[in-house]
Amino acid sequence: MATGILSKEVAIYAVPLVTLLLGILIGYLAQRSGYCSIGGFRDFALFRHTRLLSGYLTLIIASFFGYLLFWFLTPSAMEHFFWALTSNPLTPVPGAPAGLAPAAYLIFAAIPGFLVGLICVLLGGCPIRQTVMASEGSYKAGFFFIGMCVGSVIFAAFVSGWVVVLMRAIGLGV
Amino acid sequence: MSPKSLPSSKKPLLSLLVRHPAFLGALIGILAAFSQALLISAGGPEAYGFCVACHTRDLVNGMTNIIADTSLALAPISKNAILPVMSVVGVIIGAFLSAKVHKEHKIKRTDHREYFIYFIGGFLVLQFAMIFGGCPYRAALRTGYGDITALLFIITMALGVVAGTLYMLRKAEKEES
Repeated sequence: MATGILSKEVAIYAVPLVTLLLGILIGYLAQRSGYCSIGGFRDFALFRHTRLLSGYLTLIIASFFGYLLFWFLTPSAMEHFFWALTSNPLTPVPGAPAGLAPAAYLIFAAIPGFLVGLICVLLGGCPIRQTVMASEGSYKAGFFFIGMCVGSVIFAAFVSGWVVVLMRAIGLGV
Repeated sequence: MSPKSLPSSKKPLLSLLVRHPAFLGALIGILAAFSQALLISAGGPEAYGFCVACHTRDLVNGMTNIIADTSLALAPISKNAILPVMSVVGVIIGAFLSAKVHKEHKIKRTDHREYFIYFIGGFLVLQFAMIFGGCPYRAALRTGYGDITALLFIITMALGVVAGTLYMLRKAEKEES
């Protein structure tokens, strides 16, 4: 069991507060800079503009160095840091539907990745950009956010179960 | 990688930094690692510092569980804590404050058909993001954490964006001719 800087008794109270402050900072800066991951790839494909893309690529690199730094400082909090070396490289960090063969996780990464990119570029922004645009007063981005809220209940209630059943049906269960 | 300019006085440098996406990217990366180091005792998963889709899922399902006494699935960190993760609420508040302060807040209405398309779009994006286990931001954090599948997600996402861009270009050309 991983242990962080705060003990469990303190951390369960700190979770909403710390994430709220983090979110306010990110939201403020995202509104200032027009931060968008999908927009970065789109601007690069259309005009060879690298401004937004640099934000997303910096995030990947900075997160590696951030995790590396805190792996040195608090190794117990980063139990499986560099996941591909410490765990099975073909199974993802927990978060996806559990209990499937490695090939299923590659399908889960490849096909949803393509569809998320396609849908988001057609609607003009990744989830964070839509949330920021909703805060700026755009009704349609607000409906995108409402769609995400409704979708999260539907996913937990039905879709995650269906996905596991489907993967078992094509022989990728465990 | 990012174009760095060096203005003479200090204030323009700060405002330039705040307005550059690379600064925010670096900040999210470091702060996500810091928040994991701080809060991981409350529960996993790892590389979960910031994600719009997953944190929306945790917020909505966690609040539904508290209010309506259901048991919808959510990440352990939100299940164990007194309230689910609040970063999406923070993003909404932060962006609203920034838009108000800089006088960029403007109500924009369109027709019902577009609202419906965006609603369905948000719904589908969340389903696909959850099947993978993260939105583009958590995919970046997971890649930084050493997850190969997340790198595959980013590559196919870039391909999807290129496909969508080509589709839009073709549509625009057709309308012109």
